[in-house]
Amino acid sequence: MKSIKNHLMFILPLMAILLGVEFYLVFDRTTDSYEKGLKEGYSMLVVSKTPVSLDYLQSLNSQISSSKKIKRQEIVTEIAKGVSKINEKKILNVLPHFYSIHLGDYLGIDELEVIKKDLETDDNIKRVETFGSAYSSSYRLFSFIKLSLKIFIVFMAVVSLFLIIKQMEIWKYAHRQRMQVMEIFGAPLMLRSGILFKVAIIDALLATIFTSLFFLYLKFQWAANSGIDMMMQNKEELFKMTDIVVLLVTALLIVIIAVYSVVFTTKGEEE
Amino acid sequence: MSNVISVSHLTLAYEDDKEIIKDVNFNIKKGEFVFITGPSGSGKSTLLKALYGQIKPREGSLVVGGLDITTSSASKLQELRTHMGIIFQDYKLVNEWTVAKNVVLPLMIAGYSIDVQDTQSKRLLKHVKLSEHGDKYPLELSGGEQQRVGVARALAKNPVVILADEPTGNLDDYSSNVIWDLMENACQQLDTTVLVVTHKIPSIFSLPYRHFIIENKGVYEVH
Repeated sequence: MKSIKNHLMFILPLMAILLGVEFYLVFDRTTDSYEKGLKEGYSMLVVSKTPVSLDYLQSLNSQISSSKKIKRQEIVTEIAKGVSKINEKKILNVLPHFYSIHLGDYLGIDELEVIKKDLETDDNIKRVETFGSAYSSSYRLFSFIKLSLKIFIVFMAVVSLFLIIKQMEIWKYAHRQRMQVMEIFGAPLMLRSGILFKVAIIDALLATIFTSLFFLYLKFQWAANSGIDMMMQNKEELFKMTDIVVLLVTALLIVIIAVYSVVFTTKGEEE
Repeated sequence: MSNVISVSHLTLAYEDDKEIIKDVNFNIKKGEFVFITGPSGSGKSTLLKALYGQIKPREGSLVVGGLDITTSSASKLQELRTHMGIIFQDYKLVNEWTVAKNVVLPLMIAGYSIDVQDTQSKRLLKHVKLSEHGDKYPLELSGGEQQRVGVARALAKNPVVILADEPTGNLDDYSSNVIWDLMENACQQLDTTVLVVTHKIPSIFSLPYRHFIIENKGVYEVH
């Protein structure tokens, strides 16, 4: 019973870290499409004196991925209703050229301002409208959620790591006699710490299995039967087989750090 | 004959700077049997710990098996310890291991195969008259039997030097005599250097030996 408790004291904090890692992976994957939507749905308006090509705009700023000319005739038709054909032609002649431009990446407000400035340095460009405020609210909300999740995961990971190291110290204490005797007889660090590595690696494997099973359950049972469209559509993003490798490597890395941090604090055999 | 242990101007001190042994000089040659005696707290065990590198000398040099312990790296010291057999008053056996596994610890550390370890553990346990106890755990044995396991472990890899700290301190006369016999045999037959820290030299001891006394922070040979 005591042994099970000792193992749980190690497995549970490790699982907390692994759950954090996996939640982040899932969040990153599922929000990727949302991020794409924000990017694709966003466009800037550029007003120029003369017609400009995409290459010309890209030479001003490389973040611009595409441009679409807004037909001036449609604008004139819309604003010059009831105006004679001659006057409509005059309006068309003085009207500048309008372009809707798209960006290659999902950018922040500051980066949008840089693009605006780059474009405005050109004399041919009369005006650039970024629609920053509308874009900004979605972008800031999205960034805030992402940052909050990252902070929470990092905080949880740090607390869990301390708990893991604490448990490792308890194990070291439990096995101190064996480790001391082995040290006296010249056993290298790896050999005398072997018992700690052994239990830690077994628990790392168990924590990886439990975390993977939890997400497999979410994917095949909960999400599939949830009736929530978004969940059912993104079911595949909830857990991928490559995640097992990520979780296992993370778990092993953590236990190695924990064992070494405890073993290297050993002063040696005390009598 | 070459020196196995060379001590020159050696000073040992506790962490609080209190000196235990000061400016001590002596040499011990290969195959010699040496007793170190002295009153309680005189520094006998501390000297022994310094000899297997558990305590770093404050001053002087301490060369064991050609390695200067005062300047050696941790890995060199580790290597040196694999050529030593160390016996403790409180046995220092691993209680969760069987007697057989305890005995072959030095072979395990040296990377010998399981087959060799099995063969050697049978031979060693027979040598210390504990053939029937290989599968038992240390706490199932008497004090004398546990110390015989400790001696068998110390002899497992034919060490260059055996360091023993009060090996018979807690034992009855019969067990003590068995332990002395085993160490005499190791010295005589394997030419092993044996250095024993004890309160009292055994009355029945057949080998020639050297005797040092630790007193007032000094080490003096008794002729």
